[in-house]
Amino acid sequence: MYKHKQGRSRALVTVAGLALVLTACGEKARVDPSLQIGGNPTLPASQDFLVPPMQVPKGVGWKGNAMPAVAPGLQIEKIASGLKHPRNVLVLPNQDVLVVESNGPGEEAVTTPKQLIAGVVKNQSGKGAKGGNRITLLRKKPGGTGEWEQHVYIENLHSPFGVQLVGDSLYVANTGNIMKYKYTAGETKMSDPGTELADLPNTVNHHWTKAMAVSPDGKKLYIGSGSNSNIGENGLEVEYRRAAVLEVDITNGASRVFASGIRNPTGLQFEPTTGKLFAIANERDEIGADLVPDYLTSVQEKGFYGWPYSYYGQNVDRRVLKQRPDMVAKAIKPDFAMGSHVAVLGLWFYTGQNMAQKYKGGAFVSEHGSWDRTPLSGYQVVFVPFENGMPKGPVQPVVTGFHSQDEKELYGAPVGLAQDADGGLLIADDVGNVIWRVSSKQ
Amino acid sequence: MKADYPSARFSLPSAIFTLLDPIPFGMFVGTLIFDIIYAKTGEILWVKGAAWLVSMGLVFAILPQIINLFMVFVGKTRVRTRGQVINFWLNVVAIIAALVNAFVHSRDAYATMPDGLWLSILTVLAMAIGRIILSGERIIYKDVTHVQA
Repeated sequence: MYKHKQGRSRALVTVAGLALVLTACGEKARVDPSLQIGGNPTLPASQDFLVPPMQVPKGVGWKGNAMPAVAPGLQIEKIASGLKHPRNVLVLPNQDVLVVESNGPGEEAVTTPKQLIAGVVKNQSGKGAKGGNRITLLRKKPGGTGEWEQHVYIENLHSPFGVQLVGDSLYVANTGNIMKYKYTAGETKMSDPGTELADLPNTVNHHWTKAMAVSPDGKKLYIGSGSNSNIGENGLEVEYRRAAVLEVDITNGASRVFASGIRNPTGLQFEPTTGKLFAIANERDEIGADLVPDYLTSVQEKGFYGWPYSYYGQNVDRRVLKQRPDMVAKAIKPDFAMGSHVAVLGLWFYTGQNMAQKYKGGAFVSEHGSWDRTPLSGYQVVFVPFENGMPKGPVQPVVTGFHSQDEKELYGAPVGLAQDADGGLLIADDVGNVIWRVSSKQ
Repeated sequence: MKADYPSARFSLPSAIFTLLDPIPFGMFVGTLIFDIIYAKTGEILWVKGAAWLVSMGLVFAILPQIINLFMVFVGKTRVRTRGQVINFWLNVVAIIAALVNAFVHSRDAYATMPDGLWLSILTVLAMAIGRIILSGERIIYKDVTHVQA
């Protein structure tokens, strides 16, 4: 009776060994990253994994006076530190800088065993640290040297991300609504309690950031509403007004879906020469280290960009039931690929005079960095040259050195971008909890 | 056969084993049912349920196996029948299939199919056949004539 059980426990050991083998079999990237940047990225065949590739450097922050490296001819300085997960920056007309300190609300229910494990792994990088749920105002010290003054400006927000000033109204996009505040220049603490302009999709909040742009005529707000899943695994009914760019009327808060099928649109901004709306988007995961490249694209009104049914036009994603060939046929191919899993999260069209002429008229894009790819990708701010209002390339790294050479430690990760009156580029770093300013070398 | 078990002494490990050992089988049957429903409907509820069932089935399989280990080193050597050997190897197949299946069920949405469904069928078939074979050799639920020795 008992003899066979000895064999069984041996089998258990075999099974445990097999589990180790399985977890070690993550795929390395095979496609040259440069082939996945530009208008026609190389797309390998998709794969199904037992354990998807995962590589997460440990978040350690910047030690002492350590700083990111910048391209030749540029310099970098720290204008604020010790912030609580800064994600976004806005420069006000009087040169005060608003810093949105925020992270996901952490309200997504655990509905699969995988979520238990994935949450633990991702948090190692420091990207999961608790956000301040507030906006801090930075003001340059009278002497003009060293870090800027910090004032807590608006508190008790709910995972805010987008922030825009239109006339004397300050709009803040929380994960679940847009708040409107009366802005008074010079204040270091917002005196207006604010009113709600519009509600935003607020269930699950798998992707929680609500990026916000204002139309050149100041009449409409555009909101990036990310999908509630990687690829529909929470059911398509929770994707209502998700994976979409929403348009909100600034006078009454009425909204509509402006464009759809963009998995996680952020960095919404109008290209200054053509007035076209652009977005950067994070594409789907877990079908390969080299799939699917994140992208930068102009956003066409009523355009459909594929998610979840397909990517880069008509490349069908088999993970969605039911398949929709009619939607796949409609899917627009994005303009410009930025590389797989780089996690584009900040976009800025540079119009300043400070930096070299070559940066004028193009866009800076911040890449928050990969968690599901070996080797790491992203973790830098790059420059994308534009021609006739469209991205042209070649893409050049501008700010780098956010992780250690051996890819084990993470010092920082760039997110929101902005430009100050002197033409300096401001970068929010939500792992180093720092605001960086890049400018021409004096 | 019956002569091998002359005593009906109560043993705690044996009781725990008897309580826990059927649980994985039931959960794997549930996994299979949910997988069939998901494969047909695409309703996410069912595949998430299946993911929990296959994972929990594996967790519940741990303790009975540890008890087995204890029994092996402390228990006396017994006669090993052919049915028990076949059942043992079928259990190995089932547990490996269920483990791979747990990983397959960590995929998103329909990426679990069809692999997950085939692995669920394999797990349940292996365990079921093992149990059927073993039932022919067990005394429980069988009319045992108490022949005077």
